[in-house]
Amino acid sequence: MQQLLNTLLGGLTLGMVYAAFALALVMIWRSTRIVNFAQAPMAMVTTFIALSVIDAGHSYWLGFAAALLSGLVLGAVVERVLVRPVEGGPEINAVILTLGLFIVLHALASVIFGNRFRSFPAPFGVRGIEVGDTTIALTTSGVFTILAVLAVMGLLVLLFRFTDIGLRMRAAAHEPEVARLLGVRVGRMLTLGWALASLVGSLAGLLIASGSLVHPSYMDSVVVYGFVAAVLGGLDSPLGAVLGGLLLGLSLSLVSGYVGSQLVALAALGILVVVLLLRPGGLFAPAAARRV
Amino acid sequence: MKTRLRRTAPLVGVLASAVLLAGCGAGGRDDEGGEEGGGGGATDVGVTEDSVTVGAHFPLTGVAAPGYSEIPTGAQAYFDFVNAQGGVHGREIEYIVKDDGYNPTNTSTVTNELVLQEEIFAMVGGLGTPTHSAVVDFLRDEGVPDLFVSSGSLMWGDDPDSYPTTFGWQTDYESEGKIIGQYVAENMPDAKVGLFLQDDDFGEDAEKGVRQFLDDQIVGVERYTSGNTDVAPQITGLQASGADLVLGFTTPSYTALAKLVSLTTGFTPKWFFSNVGSDSALVGSLLERFSEGAVSGGGGALDGTMTTEYLAGVDQPDDPWVQLWQQVWEEHGEKGKLTNYRIYGMSQAYTFVQALQAAGEDLTREGLVEALQESGADFAGPHLAPYRYGEDSHLGISGMRLVELTGGSSEPLTPVLVTDIGDAPIEEDSSGQADDAPPEGGVPTE
Repeated sequence: MQQLLNTLLGGLTLGMVYAAFALALVMIWRSTRIVNFAQAPMAMVTTFIALSVIDAGHSYWLGFAAALLSGLVLGAVVERVLVRPVEGGPEINAVILTLGLFIVLHALASVIFGNRFRSFPAPFGVRGIEVGDTTIALTTSGVFTILAVLAVMGLLVLLFRFTDIGLRMRAAAHEPEVARLLGVRVGRMLTLGWALASLVGSLAGLLIASGSLVHPSYMDSVVVYGFVAAVLGGLDSPLGAVLGGLLLGLSLSLVSGYVGSQLVALAALGILVVVLLLRPGGLFAPAAARRV
Repeated sequence: MKTRLRRTAPLVGVLASAVLLAGCGAGGRDDEGGEEGGGGGATDVGVTEDSVTVGAHFPLTGVAAPGYSEIPTGAQAYFDFVNAQGGVHGREIEYIVKDDGYNPTNTSTVTNELVLQEEIFAMVGGLGTPTHSAVVDFLRDEGVPDLFVSSGSLMWGDDPDSYPTTFGWQTDYESEGKIIGQYVAENMPDAKVGLFLQDDDFGEDAEKGVRQFLDDQIVGVERYTSGNTDVAPQITGLQASGADLVLGFTTPSYTALAKLVSLTTGFTPKWFFSNVGSDSALVGSLLERFSEGAVSGGGGALDGTMTTEYLAGVDQPDDPWVQLWQQVWEEHGEKGKLTNYRIYGMSQAYTFVQALQAAGEDLTREGLVEALQESGADFAGPHLAPYRYGEDSHLGISGMRLVELTGGSSEPLTPVLVTDIGDAPIEEDSSGQADDAPPEGGVPTE
């Protein structure tokens, strides 16, 4: 019983991180129709920036803020400088571009930050919470992870639903031509969209690193699982991405705990195949309107 | 334009075949090299009158690099130390290290370079089970002595008929499993044992050894896949099985992860970690951020943990061998401190120098292998138990002692125990190997 509980709690924390990462992928997909594979190394780079700040003797939270800020800037720069020239061209160009960026960022990080395991501090304790005599596998840092992802999701909903800038961003993503005619600076909105997505990705990177070990490729599996989570949710739906992330986190944790850790990646892809066969639009896709 | 293209086509063809031919030539150069270098009697590839060139593959970058990349710096320092005293039989040792990033594909490439371009005389200390497996056949087919593979897999020496030129060095994982298994069966008969294993040869060999003694006491077995850093489900599984003693056959990063996750889940068994995964300095540096008094930083992170040793380490500064390594490192080392990984590299280099001495002045590949096979078992040296080199086995050090880590140093739990793979009994070592002191001057003479 306790094993099941602890496995599920581990899966929940991990699922929240996948959810945040899937959300970042969905945000970019919605605004520019690009799957940003470079999201993982981008988050890795910002996490290493946080680590450098912390290593220089500053507090965890200053490092945290530095990572989110550099995530924001990195996202904006990548969109404005690298992605803009290929936007509107064949979709494959943009995908290959993000894959290329993936490799470049990896190599740069190895050169600058070193290619070895390093420990990343946790914001709060790494001991499980004690309930009576038993320790459950949920740390204060784990609770912080869950709350942080929920808070970010809440803020994004507020931004998109209830603010003027959110409305303009949605307009720019859905109907760029019309939006432009109505005076929306579409280019700026896309840049902002990438910046925000990169910020959410950085948050996911920080959360999964906290209280664990990092090295330049520690986010690589997360981009795979985040992508699977986003596809589970239909790639277009933020809520779907979050639910997909949770679902995937829980199922992978169960597979690893009860079947074998060597099957985790296989299980993730198995889930992906099954979902795509049964519901090609994703589990949470709205019923397709009939096309004429 | 078109005609010009057509005219150049045959030229390109000719050039291509020329390149191909040149490539073929390189492979056949082995024998010529032998004759050219011939001065005073028989010599071989990579050997001249005043030098012998050896090579090795190590992960100098990548996730396996921490710790392991220090091994060749130790070996280099010792070779420099020997060269400064005139080398072996008048030959200086040139040591070429190539980075394979712990990726078997790269290992093949760099080994090709070492053997065909650099024309090394022997491979000395190539590291890793998956990596070295990729080149062991190639080295045999080329007739290159493949000495002292840095891995405890049984593959390096349990079958000298198939691999006559390959020699292991460190105590193999199966023997290590047997030694800890017997100790637990005799001294902790009521312990409920959990196994935490790397899901490859390393874990398999060790489990085979452990099960000889503990089959009935094992309550849970969990395997982690190298590369997947989420070991929480495995630790949770061990906890649920009720284990109160966990035997971990892990690499240092996974030792740290296991300790970390067990904090999260409130799992406090007695731990044993195998020799390769228990370098307290390295594991401590990975864990020091999470101290909060629970895991203290530095050398103390593994306090109370049991492990094994087959060499004296930096925590024993009074050991005459460690004093020699300290001197070598101060005189010839790079920046940084002497570590157990560097001692490992130096000890391997020491064994190689012994082999060169034993092979005599007329150095050939065959002669070297023969010399090791004949006299390797009697080599004195830093290793605590004798080598098993002989006609029937090319396995390395035959045993180790169990120790408990306390305050960054180690307390012996047993004397040096020797054994072999299979059903061989475990006995206290009577050869006095552990009491050897280094020769004066620090270079072996015979």
